[in-house]
Amino acid sequence: MIPELMIALSVGAALFGVGLYGALSQTNLVMIIMGVELILAAALLNLVAFWRYLHPDVTAAKMFVLIVMAVMAVEMAVGFGIAIARFRSRGSVEMEEARELKG
Amino acid sequence: MSLATALFLAFFGVAAIWFGIVVFRTHSMVRSAIALLFSQTAIGAMFLVMQAEFLGVLQIMMMATEMSVMAIFMVMFMMDPGGMGKMDMTHQKRLSLWAGGIGLVAALVVIWTAGWQGPAPDVPGADEQARLLGREILGRSMFIFESAALMILTAMIAATMVAIAPQEEDTQ
Repeated sequence: MIPELMIALSVGAALFGVGLYGALSQTNLVMIIMGVELILAAALLNLVAFWRYLHPDVTAAKMFVLIVMAVMAVEMAVGFGIAIARFRSRGSVEMEEARELKG
Repeated sequence: MSLATALFLAFFGVAAIWFGIVVFRTHSMVRSAIALLFSQTAIGAMFLVMQAEFLGVLQIMMMATEMSVMAIFMVMFMMDPGGMGKMDMTHQKRLSLWAGGIGLVAALVVIWTAGWQGPAPDVPGADEQARLLGREILGRSMFIFESAALMILTAMIAATMVAIAPQEEDTQ
C-alpha cells in the first residue's frame, strides 16, 4: 500500500461526491457548472496521483491532465455562452424554468 | 513513505474538501466562487506536494482566472448574488445526497480494496519533467495537443455565437 496515493485518491473520491451532489441539487446553471468543475478537479487529482505514485515514467499521463484542464475551460466557456443566451431570452438562468428543453 | 508529504497531502486535501462543501452551503454566490477558487488552489498545492510542479502552478493560475470570471458571472446573472435574501436555490436534495454519497462510497471501496503495491518510485526533477513533457507534447502526443487547441478554438467560436444577441435579419 502507498499511503500518499490512498490519501490523494480518497480526497479525489470526496471531491467527486461533493461535486456530484452540487451538480444534481442546484437549480442555477452557474452553480451546476461549479459542481461539474469539482468533479473534473477530482479527475485531475486522480490522474496526477496515479502518475506520481504508480507510473512517474509515463509522461503521457501529464498530457492527459492538460487535456482535462482544456475540457474544464471549454465546459466553462460553452456553459457561460448558454447562460448568456438563456438570460437574454428568459431573464434567468434557473434550470427549473427550462422545462421547454424537455421537448 | 515521507511523513511530511502525507501530512501536507492530508492538510491540503481536507482544505479542498472543506471549501468544496462551502461552495454549496453558503447563500452568497460570490463566496461560493471564492470557496471554489480556494478548493482548486488547495488541489494545485497537492500537485506541488506530489512533485508535479508545472501542473500545480498551471492549476493555480488557471483556476484563479477562471474563478474570477465565474464571480463576475455570478454577480451578473444571480437574482441574489450577495445572499442577503437567504434564497434556497436547490431541488431534489435527498436524491442528490444519496447520489453523491453512493459515488463517494463506491470510489472509496475501489480505492481501498485495489491493493496498489509500493514503494512509490522516484520522480525526475522539475526541469527534467518539463523537458520530458515538452518532448511528449511535440512528439508522440502532438496530434492530441493540436486537437485540444482545435477544441478550445471551436468552443470559443461556439460560445461567442451562442452569446451574441440575435440580429434583426436573423429573427425574420
